[in-house]
Amino acid sequence: MIVVDDDLLDPALIAEPFRYYRRLREEMPIHYNERWRGWVVSSYEDVARALRDKRMLADTITPYFQTKLTQEERKRFAPTYEVLNSWVVFLDPPKHTRLRKIFSKAFTPSSVEQMRGQVQTIVRETLDGWAGRSEIDLIGDYASTLPANVIATVIGAPPEDLHLFHRWADDLTNLLHGGVGTELRLENAQTAILEFKDYLQDLYDDHVRHPRDDMMNWLMDVEREDELLTPDDVLYACMLLLNAGHETTQNLIANSIATLIEQPENMEALAREPELIKTAIEECLRLNGPMKGTMRIAGEDMQIRGEEIKKGERIMLLMAAANRDPEKFENPDKFDIRRWPNSHLSFGHGIHFCLGAPLARLELELTLRELPKRFKTMRLTEAAKYQPRILSRSIEPPLRLTIAA
Amino acid sequence: MTGCTKMSGSRITRIVIDHDLCVGSTMCLGVDPARFDLDDKAQAIFVGTDIDETLAREAAEVCPVAAIKLVFEE
Repeated sequence: MIVVDDDLLDPALIAEPFRYYRRLREEMPIHYNERWRGWVVSSYEDVARALRDKRMLADTITPYFQTKLTQEERKRFAPTYEVLNSWVVFLDPPKHTRLRKIFSKAFTPSSVEQMRGQVQTIVRETLDGWAGRSEIDLIGDYASTLPANVIATVIGAPPEDLHLFHRWADDLTNLLHGGVGTELRLENAQTAILEFKDYLQDLYDDHVRHPRDDMMNWLMDVEREDELLTPDDVLYACMLLLNAGHETTQNLIANSIATLIEQPENMEALAREPELIKTAIEECLRLNGPMKGTMRIAGEDMQIRGEEIKKGERIMLLMAAANRDPEKFENPDKFDIRRWPNSHLSFGHGIHFCLGAPLARLELELTLRELPKRFKTMRLTEAAKYQPRILSRSIEPPLRLTIAA
Repeated sequence: MTGCTKMSGSRITRIVIDHDLCVGSTMCLGVDPARFDLDDKAQAIFVGTDIDETLAREAAEVCPVAAIKLVFEE
């Protein structure tokens, strides 16, 4: 058993984790990180297998509440637990199976395709707003507003309330992506959850009075037919959609553009041959995707590569390391927008495969259709700085770009 | 013609699952557990001896990566 004490938040590792991942894959593809207090898995085969292993539980929330909090805190933060414990991302079968099926109908590739027109309008209007500017903040002026706008439209919330969503989503993200929850983080997340729930309750009531064709309405229809679903389930589902569709998509767009414009010929190629956009999206996801890893809990004692993992221990599955495994990808560190097939694990694998993947791909696709067409040059004014997060790979705003038509 | 009143066009003769795309989300197993299964690499396979048109269309529709292709009669 290899035990390390590496600091996963070390600034050098946050800036450039891939050399470290290479060392992990080569020297200790499975090991125990004492500082993080869990197992770390990094080869493609092991990560893919673990993602589809029924013994690897996604409910990381219950153990956290049961072991890290005092009885008094558990009582105080019960509303937070209730919400998070209803999210399909943290559920295991059989409850997962039922809820996922309900959601998945709203996020199939063809139902997402019907949102194309709406998303395109948001993309174009945002970029029209850049007229006359030579410098923009890709995150503040685009990558953070587009996904929030899209999700607000999808659940039928008015765009003028977007600033509220940003704040609530940030407070939740700090709790969930941080990897470690402090009491203050929990406090902030709970305040956000309660405000958010009140807000969505009003929106729900408004949908009862004025039914319309959007996802909240659609979830409400399902709720009326399914006796196991409650109005709260609908509210919590909308919270999940907003949270999941928010920062991850922001990171996807920012990371992708930052990676693409490192070599100007990439954007030129996309402008010349838009049919490359499809493979370019997958390559951006593979090489610099929005999540470095995801967490699971061992549901029973098990072995990976001969290592004994005990029931209840936590395991970090590093998709970002698996995505550069030379056993799976030729020239894994080379960014090649023509690469195909490209079976990266950035959206996961197995039953928790990202439900929003078609929507995230659509948002990036439309971005890559418009940006290279409108701007001949796009340059970073300084290197992208990544935020100290264990699981997500997130550029710190602002991400300033000089642009010219 | 009887049956298939909802369906426009021709009959499904074959179901093909693209394993470059399949991510093992198991959505198709949820729709038609008798005819879809996972192989040892956790990729979906069609194991039905017949095809239920409605369920086949639904499985193709809910697949999150559009890996299920329906082959129609010419």
